Amino acid sequence: MKVSAVRQALLLIALAFVPAIGEAIYFRNKVSWQSPVPASELVTVDQARSWGDNVIWVDARPDNEFEGDHIPGAILLNEDRWTDLLPQLLGQWSPEKKVVVYCSAQSCNASREVAKRLRDEAQLRNVFVLDGGWEEWLRNKR
Amino acid sequence: MDLPSRDILWRIVALIIGGIFIYAGVIKAMDPVAFANDIDNYKILPWPLVVRLAFYLPWLELLCGLALILRFFYRGGLFILTGLTFVFIAASVIAKVRGLDITCGCFGHASKNWNFSGHLALDLAILAALSALWISNRTSATRKL
Repeated sequence: MKVSAVRQALLLIALAFVPAIGEAIYFRNKVSWQSPVPASELVTVDQARSWGDNVIWVDARPDNEFEGDHIPGAILLNEDRWTDLLPQLLGQWSPEKKVVVYCSAQSCNASREVAKRLRDEAQLRNVFVLDGGWEEWLRNKR
Repeated sequence: MDLPSRDILWRIVALIIGGIFIYAGVIKAMDPVAFANDIDNYKILPWPLVVRLAFYLPWLELLCGLALILRFFYRGGLFILTGLTFVFIAASVIAKVRGLDITCGCFGHASKNWNFSGHLALDLAILAALSALWISNRTSATRKL
């Protein structure tokens, strides 16, 4: 019996749920199901400022944006020049420091990526992402 | 080109396109969190839906790619892949118009350094191939009547 394209499609759509649900169960504790960055890893501008000199600001934007303007004292560390730029951050880091990574805005992904690499590859703890990024810093500039 | 040669040609096209979607599906299924971030960059859907799609879509792509290669539920697989490609091209164009600087996510982080033009060209080529497979399938069905 010939099965129409739509029925075939519906069957494929239903079949795909099986491995997808299995994988979701496997990853259930490794994924933030409600927000892209777990709340525990996000900080506001005010929170980060309250940490005073214990903060290392990390700018994850492209070189030209960093050179245009950046948070005072921030270190440039983007994925394009990761290997070249990481040593400068590591030279300033110590276990009691908190690292706050930002990129241009809430919508950009670079800060999340850099923060993830700092935790996974550089094995740093206390790495956070600035909520709202550079745009939020500018809005809160005093 | 005679009929058997044409059938062989379309079979090769189906193998290539099916293989591309299987590869894309496997790459994304291996790192669903990264794929979720890539979808989230388009800023179209809320995160709770994004993360669930990130777990589901790679497997759908993979199954549909297999459908093209193994020719089971072939038309259903073509139907879904054509729809997914349309939606993906539309989302990419919308993101570009909105000025969002995003990575494609189509081949997971393997494609993160591709530029917009490169992505769009590949997607349009895939859409053209899928459309051609549709037409060849309908022509073949008509010939058999």
